[in-house]
Amino acid sequence: MSMLLTKRLARSLWRSKLRLFTVILLIMMGVTAGISFGGYAHNVENLYDVIYADDDEGVNLPDAWIILPSGTWSAAEADGLCDAISDGWSEAGSGLDVCEPRLVLDGVMFHVDVEGEEAMISSVWHGTDEGLTDKVWIPDHECCGGRIAGAENEIVIDRHVAKHLEIEIGESVEIGSGHGRLVFEVVGIGFHSNHLWFSPDGSIFPPKEGTFATGYLSAAGLERLAALDEGAANYILIDVQDTPAFDLPDTDEDEGQYEMTPILEYLSGTMVDNGAESAAVRDRGGMPSIELLRADLNGAKKSILPMTIMLTLVAGITIALSLHRLISSQAREIAILRTLGIPSSSILIGYIIAPLVIGAIGVLLGLFFAFLWGVRGMLDVYENIIQIPILTEQVPPELVLEISLLTMLVVFIAGIQPAWKASRLQPLEVLGGEHQIRLGSRWMQRLTARLPATIGLIIRSSLRKPVRLGVTFFAVGLSMLIFGSVIMMNASMAETMIGGLDTTQQWDVTAYTMPGGEAEIVEWAEANGAGHELLIEFPGGYPDDSKVYVALGLDTLTQTDSEAMRLVNLLEGRLPSQGEANPEVLIDEGMASILGWEVGDSQILKFGSEEVEVEVVGISRELMRTITFHRADLAPILGIEATGVYLSVADGTDISGLGDISLTVVVKDDVVEGFTDLMNKQSQMLDLFIFIGIGIAAAVLLNTLLMNLAERDSDLATLRVLGASRRRLGLMLLGEHIAIGLVGGILGAIMAIYGAVAFAKAFSQWAFYFVIEVDPYVASGLVAVVVAISIAITPIGIWRIHRMDLVDMAKGFSS
Amino acid sequence: MSAPLVEMRGLSRFYKMASGVVKALDGIDLDIRAGERVILLGPSGSGKTTLLNCISALDTPTAGTYVFDGRVVPRSDAEAMTSFRRQNIGYVFQFFNLLQDLTVLENVLLIQEIAGGRDEARARELLALVGLEAEVDRFPSEISGGQQQRVAIARSIAKSPRLLLGDELTGNLDTATSETVMQVLIDACEAEGITTVMVTHDESLTKFATRVIRLDSGRIVADDAMQA
Repeated sequence: MSMLLTKRLARSLWRSKLRLFTVILLIMMGVTAGISFGGYAHNVENLYDVIYADDDEGVNLPDAWIILPSGTWSAAEADGLCDAISDGWSEAGSGLDVCEPRLVLDGVMFHVDVEGEEAMISSVWHGTDEGLTDKVWIPDHECCGGRIAGAENEIVIDRHVAKHLEIEIGESVEIGSGHGRLVFEVVGIGFHSNHLWFSPDGSIFPPKEGTFATGYLSAAGLERLAALDEGAANYILIDVQDTPAFDLPDTDEDEGQYEMTPILEYLSGTMVDNGAESAAVRDRGGMPSIELLRADLNGAKKSILPMTIMLTLVAGITIALSLHRLISSQAREIAILRTLGIPSSSILIGYIIAPLVIGAIGVLLGLFFAFLWGVRGMLDVYENIIQIPILTEQVPPELVLEISLLTMLVVFIAGIQPAWKASRLQPLEVLGGEHQIRLGSRWMQRLTARLPATIGLIIRSSLRKPVRLGVTFFAVGLSMLIFGSVIMMNASMAETMIGGLDTTQQWDVTAYTMPGGEAEIVEWAEANGAGHELLIEFPGGYPDDSKVYVALGLDTLTQTDSEAMRLVNLLEGRLPSQGEANPEVLIDEGMASILGWEVGDSQILKFGSEEVEVEVVGISRELMRTITFHRADLAPILGIEATGVYLSVADGTDISGLGDISLTVVVKDDVVEGFTDLMNKQSQMLDLFIFIGIGIAAAVLLNTLLMNLAERDSDLATLRVLGASRRRLGLMLLGEHIAIGLVGGILGAIMAIYGAVAFAKAFSQWAFYFVIEVDPYVASGLVAVVVAISIAITPIGIWRIHRMDLVDMAKGFSS
Repeated sequence: MSAPLVEMRGLSRFYKMASGVVKALDGIDLDIRAGERVILLGPSGSGKTTLLNCISALDTPTAGTYVFDGRVVPRSDAEAMTSFRRQNIGYVFQFFNLLQDLTVLENVLLIQEIAGGRDEARARELLALVGLEAEVDRFPSEISGGQQQRVAIARSIAKSPRLLLGDELTGNLDTATSETVMQVLIDACEAEGITTVMVTHDESLTKFATRVIRLDSGRIVADDAMQA
């Protein structure tokens, strides 16, 4: 008997095929997205594990970096520091594996393009012999190859650079680091942990392709390039046995209580004890590339569950609405079955099985598309943006199980209430027609009483099922949340990045230098008629915290002075005064939000091992976490006059001469182009979100509007019999759909705005903080999309009216 | 004698079914003059409703001619058929078919708007004519079946049709209410000068007719004038 009942139900469902396919499509999209995101996170996490591993394949990622921000240690000094660290290590806790001095210098690459033009590319050069930790990673993959640099004229070029500049093993490159230029032979192409996320120090966005380079020389090679003595170093890499837990910059949990905390404290103390106060000690959380990739992976992992739940919730809502409609239309049949003695449990089981079968089909299709395209598509986007090859690709069975079960659970929950309602239908009420009695809404009647009856009918029919409409709007809002918030985040990011550069930074080129080198650059500027302004950019920290920020020293702190190279975008408070006992500073809004610092606070900052008390007098908007000083206040604290010079150059000025006298040169246009490139690369991902969002919104609206139409067949047929033309009914439907689209679109846009703010908050972190600015164009675009979808569905309604068999319908109006 | 309002010659309506061709109407010759109150009687399947559908241009005859007020009634263009109905035909159904989202008054106003002339005063006047002046702001679900049918009558005559058709319009009402509704209908149509054609099973309603036509197997088997 149950089998026959289930068969009856299946045939009923098949009669509303379009709605059935819509629901299956929604479930499929939820599962595909969940598996694709999950598969992406799993494979990327595996990749990082392989890269960072302490084995033949991996680089043996250090646990701590001691970085001398300016200048170098001699071989004796560096070895002495390692000896001191090793001697007192028992204070630190975990066993010390490696203490290895390194030399890492800014520089330039002189690259001649295919047209014979020489371009000066700002670079970072690592002197890295085959050490025990933080090795160059040359994977067994077609992207890379060769061997590490051994001789003093050999270099391994980073794969990002080799790809952008089409450099191959065996070719020569000409590079410099403040002391002229030398030619090196490329013996390998690979990666380095500090540059997997390929952006220059001080920026979180990859620059324009071909405008930034990194290479890995032998220690002797780099010493020769920079004219330094043998064994010179400015980094000390510390590798500890196992991998001690460290403080994550994007959390406030257990600050100062990680396994790495005593190690960092010990290392800082040792630096102070050995006259290296200015050296900064960082753990993995303080290294930009490592932290950014971790945060990106963490973001992807965090988004799997909400994304899947959101999508399956929309599917669940649609299933519940569809089942309610099905049960309403089958109420008479169910009542007859109940009258004939079919137990309510049989009815209940049938209506529970139906959504589960629909769910299972959706899940299977979702898995199919995830395995076929989804996971690979996500990894393609990763390889395109990050440009690290995914070595192995797999989808863990537990992920498949988790997403599938979660989806089936949502589907099951969505089906329970309608099934219960079906099993509780009272035959007498249904057969007596009581369940069909519908009382019009009095307040809605009053609200629309003055309107023409046609318009009143449109509005009241639309709102006839307020719960269904409300739930539909909620589901549309969720779909808008998915793609609207992504669009808004992108728009806000672009505004923060490019808008900030365009409106507040008036320099064209920044030339960075070793302390004391600024005079030569100023001389160049004056000889070339370029405007110039000294600046200090120096990494800073806080006591008992691994977060790193940029201490920025500017000559003129102003919001409006057109002569200043860099304006301050002051959001709150006032500009700092110069020469106060405790220096007055601006903190950026990300820092204020994450650290909870406010205007009027006194705070302790740390530069190397030096601690300085400052007064926070204002909050500014910056891309990076930044504390802005008057340069005159910052210089005596650091003992450095400048780390670079902002230059304003006339169009067409040849800046190649800067390469020989600067550590590195940053061209503003290249930064902007780099960001634009990144946005373009992300467009594939953006398109996917837009496709998913619009697809879901369309499916949900289609489902509800089809139900509305089906319920109104009798009304529409009556009007047709009484002489209403198809055109008039079509216009009524169009008006209704525009109204529904408008309300749904506005609610969806509001949800997208709040969602974007919440997403931005959830995904913002120390290294990457931005605020959502609501763009009216984007918001109206979201509303327009929903209205357009709604209007696009109208022809289906008109088609239904068109094919309506009036004779058949009229038969139903009389016995 | 004036020209017939409805003039049918050799009208047939055949349906192709799996079991063969069903002759719902088979060579109907029928004239109905303005002001007549015609009742169509006959057993189930005799062709009453099909004839009503053909008169209202809801259905397209298979053969024969149909002229309404001297003009050939369209039979292939759905929009032209709708336009014909809008301009000439009022329809009252057994199950009232009022729009539940609109009040009594708005149900009448809606038809006026569709016909292109909203006139609230006339709508109220018509509702008063059918005895519902006190119920104008109620929703259909708030009034009785008989009252709903009276609203349907007011709605049908609101656009001043030439011909009002009723299909078992008292079939859902008790005897007493049926009598009241029929009297209201007759009075309203007389007041408005509207010709009526009604299908019914109920022989007792023939007293409201000026003419009773009996059908069987798609043919007219009797056509009797009645004493009004």
